[in-house]
Amino acid sequence: MPSAAPPSDRNLVGVHKEYVSNVSSTDYPGHYPGEDHSWDLGLFNERCRVQVQRLSQRSIEFDLVGVDASVANALRRVIIAEVPTVAIEQVYVWNNTSVIVDEVLSHRLGLVPLNVDPRLLEFRSTDPDVPDIPTDQNTMVFRLNVRCERNPAARRDETDPEVLYRNSNVLASHITWVPQVEQATTFAKLTPASTKPNIVLAKLRPGQEIELEMHATKNIGMEHAKWSPVATASYRLLPLIILKAPIPPHLCRKFAKCFAPGVVEVVKNSRTGQDEVKIVNPRKDTVSREVLRHEEFEGLVELKRQRDFFIFNIESEGPYSPEELLPEAITTIRNKIKVIRDAAQKLVVDMTIDT
Amino acid sequence: MSHQNDGTHYGGYNAPAHESKPDMEYICADCGANNTLKSRDLIRCRECGHRIMYKKRTRRMVQFEAR
Amino acid sequence: MATDQAKLPKLSILPGAEPNLASASYCIRNESHTLGNAVRWMLMKNPSVEFCGYSVPHPSEPVIHIRIQMYDQKSSLDALLTALDDLDTLFETINDKYNSSLQSDSFERWEEQS
Repeated sequence: MPSAAPPSDRNLVGVHKEYVSNVSSTDYPGHYPGEDHSWDLGLFNERCRVQVQRLSQRSIEFDLVGVDASVANALRRVIIAEVPTVAIEQVYVWNNTSVIVDEVLSHRLGLVPLNVDPRLLEFRSTDPDVPDIPTDQNTMVFRLNVRCERNPAARRDETDPEVLYRNSNVLASHITWVPQVEQATTFAKLTPASTKPNIVLAKLRPGQEIELEMHATKNIGMEHAKWSPVATASYRLLPLIILKAPIPPHLCRKFAKCFAPGVVEVVKNSRTGQDEVKIVNPRKDTVSREVLRHEEFEGLVELKRQRDFFIFNIESEGPYSPEELLPEAITTIRNKIKVIRDAAQKLVVDMTIDT
Repeated sequence: MSHQNDGTHYGGYNAPAHESKPDMEYICADCGANNTLKSRDLIRCRECGHRIMYKKRTRRMVQFEAR
Repeated sequence: MATDQAKLPKLSILPGAEPNLASASYCIRNESHTLGNAVRWMLMKNPSVEFCGYSVPHPSEPVIHIRIQMYDQKSSLDALLTALDDLDTLFETINDKYNSSLQSDSFERWEEQS
């Protein structure tokens, strides 16, 4: 039977001047005499908490509480490297007379984030028995045809190249989509293009031109970072500031300045009228450990982090809106688990046949 | 969907295929004007008279991996 | 998505396992720390598991090894199956909780300048 909630101290990582303490989780059966700690879905359901904190059009911050670091880390790693996206993989150059060489231009094109929904495309074949053929089901075609010319309307004394020339900057918005077979209807909702129209791909001068075709495919960040759907996906543990004794009134301002803005405030005590510190929002703290450098605060304060409280921050950079990324990662991870489960099930069958 | 291109599709030199030596287009190093020169022609820009010419890049397709 | 791994089995038992699989090492292809550590954690949550550890034998090979030793001559393969099932429900739970928070919690919505 699962025992009552263990002392909360077990969940706290100590942050000291030169070292960290109590780092590893210990919630395993057999670790504490008389305590169970075996997997219990009901208990997990009770203790686990997910709460969205902030959401913008390109990033999300949410708390994931009551899970082990291995689970939080699996989610983080899957978001970065295993949620599929679509990116340019092949570049066919007919002409490029710009100063940027074909190889470098191709590399830059590969890194352009595309707004193509990966759920509408299939992976290209990696199985040696299945030939890898580009079709409208697995490849998007884009073209880039730009030629720089003089601007006849520009004044003689003009010095700004943007006014002096036409198309002096080749931008991601110059990339045009060439629908193949049924793609015109499949992708009718949102015309495939870069999510960021103002990325400068190359600079041109009059007479220089770029003419090329690009093939974009679906793949995962593990293969190449250009297929990662995020700019960053990270978590940190919730910081805690624990006061062991009152801070002397004349040191309150100094104490507050040891933390990031908005973490600690100096307030007047309603009875004595003297300054005292108030921990307002430990979540905002960077855990710089500045407070531990001052002798006058020795023994008055302890810094901790809650080991099972993960503050996730995800910045989307591809076709997914930020709130879609965690569900996508969970879908991916559950598919991975299913593949291994099926293989294990097959192994069970094989073993019973053998014996 | 993929382009069947073996390099001959566009004709290497922007010019009609002759049995004899084709006319070549060059770019003036000074003014950037296009100049069509035959093999015996004087190397001189028709626009500015400059005597240095650049050869044009071939329009043969080259394939790259975007990595 | 390594191409040359396609023909090898996803899961295999490494040489040296007990015939009843009370202790065995498993080799999983095309997996990494991502699932290795999570599966290891879930196996360690099983009171019948005496020992469980995982490793990535070589950083440039997409392969993990999981060592499982059981108490009372139980089958480590059964323990692995249960752990995978439990891990699946764990992620399902997280997904449900996330979706309900996204739908019903009031949180800050803001416009980010790029």
